[in-house]
Amino acid sequence: MAKAKVAVWLGTRKGAYGLTSDARRRTWSVRGPFHAGTDVFHVTADARDPRYVYALANSGWFGPRVFRSKDGGRKWAEVAPPMMALAKDREHDEMGGTKPGPIVNLWHLTMGPENEPSTLFLGVDPASLYRSDDRGESWTPMNGLNQHRTRPKWNPGAGGMCLHSIVLDPTRPKRMYAGISAAGVFRSDDGGEHWTPKNTGVVVSFQPEKRPEVGQCVHKIALDPANPSVVYRQDHDGIHVSRDSADSWTRVGKVLDTDFGFVVTAPKSMPGEAFFAPVEGMSRLAPGGQLQVYRWSERTRKFSPTVKGRPFPGDLGTHRDGMDSDWLDPAGIYVGTTTGQLLISPNGAKSWNEVPYRFPSIHSVSVAPAGPAA
Amino acid sequence: MVSVRLDAMLKEFVPRRTVTTSATTVRAMIEELETNYPRIRWRLRDETGALRRYVKVFVNGDELDHQSGLSTRLAADDTVDILHSIQGG
Repeated sequence: MAKAKVAVWLGTRKGAYGLTSDARRRTWSVRGPFHAGTDVFHVTADARDPRYVYALANSGWFGPRVFRSKDGGRKWAEVAPPMMALAKDREHDEMGGTKPGPIVNLWHLTMGPENEPSTLFLGVDPASLYRSDDRGESWTPMNGLNQHRTRPKWNPGAGGMCLHSIVLDPTRPKRMYAGISAAGVFRSDDGGEHWTPKNTGVVVSFQPEKRPEVGQCVHKIALDPANPSVVYRQDHDGIHVSRDSADSWTRVGKVLDTDFGFVVTAPKSMPGEAFFAPVEGMSRLAPGGQLQVYRWSERTRKFSPTVKGRPFPGDLGTHRDGMDSDWLDPAGIYVGTTTGQLLISPNGAKSWNEVPYRFPSIHSVSVAPAGPAA
Repeated sequence: MVSVRLDAMLKEFVPRRTVTTSATTVRAMIEELETNYPRIRWRLRDETGALRRYVKVFVNGDELDHQSGLSTRLAADDTVDILHSIQGG
């Protein structure tokens, strides 16, 4: 097992970084910054073929850009950017009656299923989903979601109206989920042709109608690796679990001091468990000057804190792609903070270490097998 | 001919600092740039055709309006500067 190489890709306020380690995950080598000076919202390797790494860069000067590496991050080249459908091509005004605008930011990239090795899914602001079947050479808007009948009721959160979560069900090839802030969770059971809002049970605290069909501010979702009908949801309005593939949700986080937050991950080797790192709702900082990562157990239906004592004192926060976990047993769990720390547990959250390198503000953390450049 | 001076930020997309054009509007000048140097496409303008927020275009030293400036007519011997605002942070 020690021969397995793990790569952690970070998207930060000032570029992308790649870290590698062996299966012990105790010491790390750091490469980067790639695309230095640019806001990289998400950088992720293709676990199906880790030679391919993608970076979503958002530049105030040059606009959104997709970069791709074919050699594990040594060399990068720009591939095609997605294009917002112009008004003449829309069935509905995608902006809910406001003036149509261009793509503002690229948010999140998810790889397609194993049997479609060139397929990628990309989420952007204004909330839209794109599909590429040629590893990013071209993009097709997925208008079943982008022109959804509920779109006029979607609203931007503080981070813009972003499509930030794209999750595929590994046991049902045609089933996928999308999370939009602030529109909520949508599910497709036909490969992305048609989409249904899936927000029943999630109360919206910030608008007059408390139980709308859409308008929830989901921050991140994750499927349970052993039972993908169990879906974990970190929402603006708390931590929720669904046990029926998002048909209904139960808020489980009220027992915590705060269950506001942005991140969730469910490690492959820990069925029935998910990890959350709540922050205060107003400040977006960890309560009490100490980031805490809670483990949720579906078996006991309880949370337990995993950070013992105060090993990382400070006013830390996380962005919504700031936590990920690997495929190893014991699981590696990775938390990147808005102040540039990368915290790693190599043992299923029994203990936590900090990588001794201070990064720019971390937007995203993504784990994959290391490619050839590592 | 109109002389178009490009700031160093655009070196990634256009290998020359100055190009010349016979285009008669700023929009046509940018379209010609995009044709001759395809990598600059989408970098000066977004997919709606509007100039990106931090792109500034000057004709003979006068800054163009971000909305209407693309229609500005160009005459022989005009000098166009394409610059980028300094971004903070």
